[in-house]
Amino acid sequence: MTNNGRTTTNNDNEIERNGSDLGRDTRRRQVTQRHYDPARDGELTTAIVFAVAEAEGVSPSEVTSPPLYDSVDVAAIEDAFFGSESESEPRRGAGVVEFRYVDYLLKVRSDGWILVCESTGVDPS
Amino acid sequence: MVDDPTRDDDVQSGSESVGAERDLPSREILELDHVYEALGHSRRRYLCYTLLERAEWSLTDLATKIAAWENGVPEHAVTGLQRERVYVALYHTHVPKLADDDVVTLDESTETIVAAENATQVLAALEGMGTTLDSNQETHARGEMDNDKQR
Repeated sequence: MTNNGRTTTNNDNEIERNGSDLGRDTRRRQVTQRHYDPARDGELTTAIVFAVAEAEGVSPSEVTSPPLYDSVDVAAIEDAFFGSESESEPRRGAGVVEFRYVDYLLKVRSDGWILVCESTGVDPS
Repeated sequence: MVDDPTRDDDVQSGSESVGAERDLPSREILELDHVYEALGHSRRRYLCYTLLERAEWSLTDLATKIAAWENGVPEHAVTGLQRERVYVALYHTHVPKLADDDVVTLDESTETIVAAENATQVLAALEGMGTTLDSNQETHARGEMDNDKQR
């Protein structure tokens, strides 16, 4: 299986600099955003793919190659940010996970916002 | 403290070997990570249930069945959007994971999944727990197929 989806291993410094102000990244143009609603979307994977589809102007089922699974463990992000809350209160920690998927830099924030940005200007290879 | 080395002979001469086997599951049981990984999500369990009935499925048919089950509607009443949400999750997460663990293989050109090497082991585990943990899921996965035949 080819692995065109790349995680941002060689881009850690950039993430650190940008990570503090969630999503406000002036160097990359945001293409689209979508709020993850577990009741509507079900899994986080679905919400991410729907956001990518909107960015590409195609239907979600046309976002096929490669699978997100080759880029990042979405289930782990879902667990970390949206998984098993304590009995009544949601977790309060704020955070963001960034990863590359095809031509985009995706950010998943703990408040549920998924940001799809163009990842121009950074050559991961 | 109670383990007196001098008593070893007594124990070993008796049922020690049998006892050890009873206390410690076999290596095959302990190394079932791929089984638990495979069955660690309700959609993957449902997918595996459908493999009990038939070893080959198109992703679209699977997505329809799962959407019907999750939304509590018959398959013909599943909307395109409901199906697409499930389809996308199957394609991008669950099927690649099951393929990683050699439970299924995906034919990219036809978008069909086929049971693979480890499917037998996973399905055996699933059948074992199906009676208690997921009887509703299993009943639905099989019942829908019976309904299809009757239609």
